[in-house]
Amino acid sequence: MRNFIFFIRRFFNLLLFLALEIVCFVMIERTNTLQGNDLISSANAAAGLIYKKQNDVVYYFGLRKMNDSLLSENALLRKKVDLAYSIDTLKDSLVHTRIAQADTAIHVVKYADYLYMTARVINNSINASDNYITINRGSADGIIKGMAVISGTGVVGRVEHVSRHFSSALSVLSTKLKINAKLKGGTNGFVIWDEKSPDILAMTEVRDYVSIKKGDSVFTNNYSLYFPPDVLIGTVIKTEKEKKKGTLMIYLLSSTNFHNLQYVYVIGNTMADEKKQLEDSTMKK
Amino acid sequence: MNVYIKNILRFFVIILLQVLILNKITLRWWSEPSGFPVFIPYVYPLFILLLPFETPVWALLILGFVLGSTVDVFMNTAGMHACATLLIAYLRTNVLSALLPRNLSEYAGQHPNIKTMGWMPFLVYSAFLIIIHHFVYFTIELWNFSNFGFLLLKVVASALTSMLFIIVYLLLFTRQGTTRI
Repeated sequence: MRNFIFFIRRFFNLLLFLALEIVCFVMIERTNTLQGNDLISSANAAAGLIYKKQNDVVYYFGLRKMNDSLLSENALLRKKVDLAYSIDTLKDSLVHTRIAQADTAIHVVKYADYLYMTARVINNSINASDNYITINRGSADGIIKGMAVISGTGVVGRVEHVSRHFSSALSVLSTKLKINAKLKGGTNGFVIWDEKSPDILAMTEVRDYVSIKKGDSVFTNNYSLYFPPDVLIGTVIKTEKEKKKGTLMIYLLSSTNFHNLQYVYVIGNTMADEKKQLEDSTMKK
Repeated sequence: MNVYIKNILRFFVIILLQVLILNKITLRWWSEPSGFPVFIPYVYPLFILLLPFETPVWALLILGFVLGSTVDVFMNTAGMHACATLLIAYLRTNVLSALLPRNLSEYAGQHPNIKTMGWMPFLVYSAFLIIIHHFVYFTIELWNFSNFGFLLLKVVASALTSMLFIIVYLLLFTRQGTTRI
């Protein structure tokens, strides 16, 4: 016993060091899952508050750019509205939310799968190998883990940590996030990030006989549980053949400018749970 | 000023400097492509480097853990900064006693800085620990050795700029009198 106490006294510093390092590694390990802790993330109230105060100050510098991007987004939406009115909205999909009109006998069935919420970006990083953005909406506003985040111009990321008034989302600039994507012609693949530049994404798992032109657009496809289809991800800048696998590595110029992100939309998919349940149950069989 | 208040103040100043200003400056040495990584300077280990000479190792370790975790909270990197900071907090005493001519206990009531140590020893001391810190941090962040050159590039570029900012900090905050913040 005496020797044991002597041992502890002699190596107290080393033992303390090792114990604290183990705590660190446990924390690192735990955040690598979606169920990770919310305490050590900028979604926590204190860090969120400081970032919000800072954002209040620097917010005004970006107003001009934001105005421009809102204008161009408006133009795009107007175009889409025109398109939507010219086609039949009476689809045969009864699973989608019914929006009944009280004064007529006709029930108009519309797609209401996706709920859009606006949020302000209060912190943003582009230099780590897993980048996060912090937004000023939390569980009080109905945000839950796994919701998709897009900007006016394209895909941004996925919500990862949620506190009451803030949440942090893993951005596309991350090694952990893999997005279902399709080329203009309908070929599917995955969009990942290769950690080099915050403007350049990469699309993989496209067979090498697919012909791709420089400047082609890449969109999200219908497979994703969280992202709505046809959200722009980027445009092709160059392709490289991977001979071993017989696939193409397609480099994309990201359509979202991560250098100055101010407003984003958080998207909830009301059908996500149902779809996931169905997919899980078929997986088990 | 009391040594405790001074260090607590410095803790907050350095954290805010790191989180609100330096984290927002993303440096890219030459703009395109060549795959040169974007990076930011990490100046916060300076808090550990500037603690008084006679701080016991256990206190250094606990302060290092608190400092690292605080930065982790802001940067969404749970544990990574804390891990790297702990290592330099542990090594600090050994490095200091190797660099200084006299026993550490003879420097009672003094801080390691350019006045008490001189430019060269202080730069060697801080550069050594900063490089270790950056190496550990980026290793944990990337977590694969397949692209070792990329890792080294990130470490060297980031350490150089961090040292630059540390020198600027020292020039700004070293008072000409005997007392200093």
